[in-house]
Amino acid sequence: MVVSILGSQIIGIIPLGDIVFYMTSFNLFMFAAALVFTFIIAISKTETQIEAEFGSLGDREIKVAKKEFKFRRFLAIICGLATAGAMVTGDLFDFTLFVCLIGIVNIGIVGAVKQVDVLDSAFQYGLIAMIASTPLFVGASLILAATGTISILAINSLTYTTPMMLFGSILLFLGVAGETGVAPFFATKAEMFRTPGSPFLLIIHLSSLLIIVRVIEILLIINKPF
Amino acid sequence: MILVPDVVSPVVVAIYAPAVFVGIIVALIGLFGISIEKNDLQVLILTDIVGVAMLIIVAAVGTDLAESLVLPGLVVELAEILAICEILMSREMRKTGKSVSLIPTPLNFDMEVLQTSPVFIAVILVIYGAFLSGFTGGAIAGGGILFYVMSLTVRGLPSDLWEGIAGASGIAWCLWLTGFLVLFVFPNYWLLGLMLAAFGVFIKVAFKAGLIGVMNREEFRKE
Repeated sequence: MVVSILGSQIIGIIPLGDIVFYMTSFNLFMFAAALVFTFIIAISKTETQIEAEFGSLGDREIKVAKKEFKFRRFLAIICGLATAGAMVTGDLFDFTLFVCLIGIVNIGIVGAVKQVDVLDSAFQYGLIAMIASTPLFVGASLILAATGTISILAINSLTYTTPMMLFGSILLFLGVAGETGVAPFFATKAEMFRTPGSPFLLIIHLSSLLIIVRVIEILLIINKPF
Repeated sequence: MILVPDVVSPVVVAIYAPAVFVGIIVALIGLFGISIEKNDLQVLILTDIVGVAMLIIVAAVGTDLAESLVLPGLVVELAEILAICEILMSREMRKTGKSVSLIPTPLNFDMEVLQTSPVFIAVILVIYGAFLSGFTGGAIAGGGILFYVMSLTVRGLPSDLWEGIAGASGIAWCLWLTGFLVLFVFPNYWLLGLMLAAFGVFIKVAFKAGLIGVMNREEFRKE
């Protein structure tokens, strides 16, 4: 049996009971990209940040302490693995949980810093992430109510789309946008990137990029516009 | 197009749409509260109302798949609220320059039951917890351990026994994960997986509640 998703052929599936991972060349590429970046981040060291002082010609050096550094590297690796998992999962609920995990870990990565501005921004991002988990889960549950399944492979073989599925998909997209902090919610996240410790912050960017690409794939599968 | 099988009563099916609307109204009330409130702590508490709305709508679906999303949804909400609380606390500590311990006020228990029969009650609770097993049993047995540690502290006896408990809790957590992996990878051995998961989570939850006792003991002595 040849199953194709969005025109690309399925290379293989990994059945773990109800939870089925499926691989197409598109998913595999993003999965490998997330893993490679996670590995690079796991072996890299943080860079030292130089800030110009206001009103004088001096510079200020900001270093990340060893303990904080270890903790943040651990969270960055978790974030990378969650991103990689979200790339290949064939289960809508798994996907929402991976996205929530990324949201929590992003708060944690910037939560240990000592600057008040950054903590303020992380607090606001956390509030948005928490509010956004509502449309995220509600979207998934509306899709479950409308189709009777959460397996993306099973949804792919359905022949109809209903307005309920469209509404659920819009909510799901809103939730992902809030949880990863992309365009309309980016203002909450902008200050977070002033934190010292560059490679760990890159994973926040990378995870939101990959997750957005993947959620668009899932929404195309659910709604079948073509 | 209705996917619901015939065995489900039409009353239950008719409730779905009202439940979704109730959820949306609750979420809007929460969001309205957030929009007019300026205190950070109040905003955090109001955000939880929006999370409750999510649980209402997910639970309205009412199948086992929906149940499998209710529990993770609840856990995610709790984890996020804890993370944001930590951020709020550490920001306030940076602003004021003072650090705050986990339980700020020293606790003082002067109850007769802690003097007379602590061992009996603790043993009963632990045995009953072991009989229940799983998450509930873990909570009850942990309550027993917590009670015993509390009574030792109140009577002024040394209670250094519990320091290694954190390691055992971690190993029990691994048992739980192994049980789940067995369920997924070798479904034929489901009984083994079930037992591993049930007793892993029992020991883990019991020790987790015991750990709270260890942390509190330090606070009791502060007075």
